[in-house]
Amino acid sequence: MSDVRCSIFLRHYKCMDTNQFNAQILTLSDKLFRLAKSILCNAEAAQDAVQELSLKLWEKRSKLDEVENVPAFTMRAMRNLCLDTIRQQRDADELPAEMEFVEPNPHQQIEQKDLVTRVRKMIDELPELQRTIIRMRDVEGMEIAEIAYVTSLTENAVSVNLSRARQKIRERIIYEQKRVEETVWKR
Amino acid sequence: MEKMNELLEKYFRGETTLAEEEVLKSYFLSETVKSEHESYRVLFEAFDQEKKETANAPLLKVLPRQREVKHFWIKTFSYSGIAAALVLALWVQYPRSEKDYAIIHGHRINDPEYAQKYAEKKLNDVNEMLQNGLRPLRNMEALKENLRASTRKNGTLKDEIIELNKTRNINN
Repeated sequence: MSDVRCSIFLRHYKCMDTNQFNAQILTLSDKLFRLAKSILCNAEAAQDAVQELSLKLWEKRSKLDEVENVPAFTMRAMRNLCLDTIRQQRDADELPAEMEFVEPNPHQQIEQKDLVTRVRKMIDELPELQRTIIRMRDVEGMEIAEIAYVTSLTENAVSVNLSRARQKIRERIIYEQKRVEETVWKR
Repeated sequence: MEKMNELLEKYFRGETTLAEEEVLKSYFLSETVKSEHESYRVLFEAFDQEKKETANAPLLKVLPRQREVKHFWIKTFSYSGIAAALVLALWVQYPRSEKDYAIIHGHRINDPEYAQKYAEKKLNDVNEMLQNGLRPLRNMEALKENLRASTRKNGTLKDEIIELNKTRNINN
């Protein structure tokens, strides 16, 4: 599948210079940072990952000239780099396999008073693939085909994961609000 | 209202298009959200908040410029080489406007026939000088050959004397 899709994204261009590189890659830095932060759940690590990727892309910029959809290609490279980082950290026992949804304790509840912050945390607690897909779609506004290219999945698999992610968040939002209402009634 | 409910259900099934999702975002970020939809406002606000998040550290803009210096010198040397080769080719190919001439004893000679004859005469003189100069060397060669012949003869005589001495010793 990915080979067919790759061929769609490939096209010949003339050699990329500094200005073209800056225009194409560095303008994507915020988008890349958000993706890296979503996967790594750490702003500092995400920043490092973006720096590392931009260096790698600069070194291989002659190959980058052949890529038609540079944003999608770069996002895919960013995700692969972050997944490698997670794998390395997991091998070194520095990271848990996946964050789980745990009901916040009273102290955390005060910290997460802001419901929006709590929703963002809910998204962080989704499995990596689901949180990456929901953010690529709902935050970055990417097409399903582009997300499929970045994640190396079929478009159907992307839609299924997107639906699951949205449903989970919906259930948790409803659960949270019921809990808040119950707390208010008890008072 | 009913349309918005349908759109919301479609959204949670993952079936909405980007345009439809834009409609939902605009609705939930506006001040006109109905009370029954209020629960989902936080979701769209969370997405909106995340979209405003930016990378704090500046990215590597300096590094590419440093690499460019190397390319600048490579380009400069290449272009200089090509330019030099072109100039040389033009200089070789360009027809001379002046006729050939020779300088003899500090005087400019424009007559090619005279110059050629003069050169030939001088070359003959040099040849003759060389021939005369080499004659003593030829005598030296003959002398060397004679010496070699006499050395060979001496060697034979020496061998004969040794042989005679041996015979005499045996007889004694």
